[in-house]
Amino acid sequence: MDDIEAIKAQYLNHEFETRTFAVEAESLAAFARACGETLSRYVDPADADFQATPTWPSSLARGGNLPAGFPTFGGVSLDGGKDVEPLAPIRPGMTLTGRSHVHDIYAKSGRSGRMIFVISRMVLTDDDGTVVSNADTRLVIRENSAKK
Amino acid sequence: MNMTVRNITEVEFGSDLPAFTPDNSLANVRVLCGAAGWDSPRFTDHDAARELGLAGAIVPGIMSQGFLAAMIHSWAPVARIERIDTVFRAPVLVDEPLSITATVTDIDEDVLRVELDLTVSNAKGETRVFGTAKLLFDA
Repeated sequence: MDDIEAIKAQYLNHEFETRTFAVEAESLAAFARACGETLSRYVDPADADFQATPTWPSSLARGGNLPAGFPTFGGVSLDGGKDVEPLAPIRPGMTLTGRSHVHDIYAKSGRSGRMIFVISRMVLTDDDGTVVSNADTRLVIRENSAKK
Repeated sequence: MNMTVRNITEVEFGSDLPAFTPDNSLANVRVLCGAAGWDSPRFTDHDAARELGLAGAIVPGIMSQGFLAAMIHSWAPVARIERIDTVFRAPVLVDEPLSITATVTDIDEDVLRVELDLTVSNAKGETRVFGTAKLLFDA
């Protein structure tokens, strides 16, 4: 059984990936409409306040986003959830930079063994370096000691 | 429950948000996947998803989260989502009827914040996604 505290000491808060994203109006609007948004500021690129929906950054933070060499715990990581904290409007024409780090690691035990939870956080900044959103992916791994 | 609220004083503790019907048809899921650049066939093709051992194509978690945010915006168009945390408990199937709900669980008029509990359930009433959201209203 892997020592969670040792893994935390090795991986927590170390940035492991940087990606850039061009923000395009039509993609933002299509995403918003598909989600059922009707407010002009989310679905109409001609609106003076047009911006991404608050949950759009979740689409940039895909499951399985972990550092190279991160332990598998003998299982497959599943996307167990998304947590978004929008901090400033994201608008077309911006180029966002997403920097990812492991934000938390914890385990829960049950009859069938341990479930490992890994929170991978992408911090999105705009062209000026202002943080516009934190997008967390909650990865869930059912530990399988026999396969490690 | 008001169909829409524009001020925190209109929000009632314990009330449910008005019904919101999400479009989780295969055609709409494909639109979202195209916009987001998520092209996995497990989201966009029932047969391919079944070959992967799923009951059918599944709705991306980001879409379930997006449905919940849209429901909130329909109810409180002037409020700002401060945070929305969703847990993907089990797959949500494409083309299967869904029910989504939100309930007011806290109102803090000092800081103009409202908290909601959120769920996405299937036709059997099984919760597939749940979560919480925090909203901020203007003074």
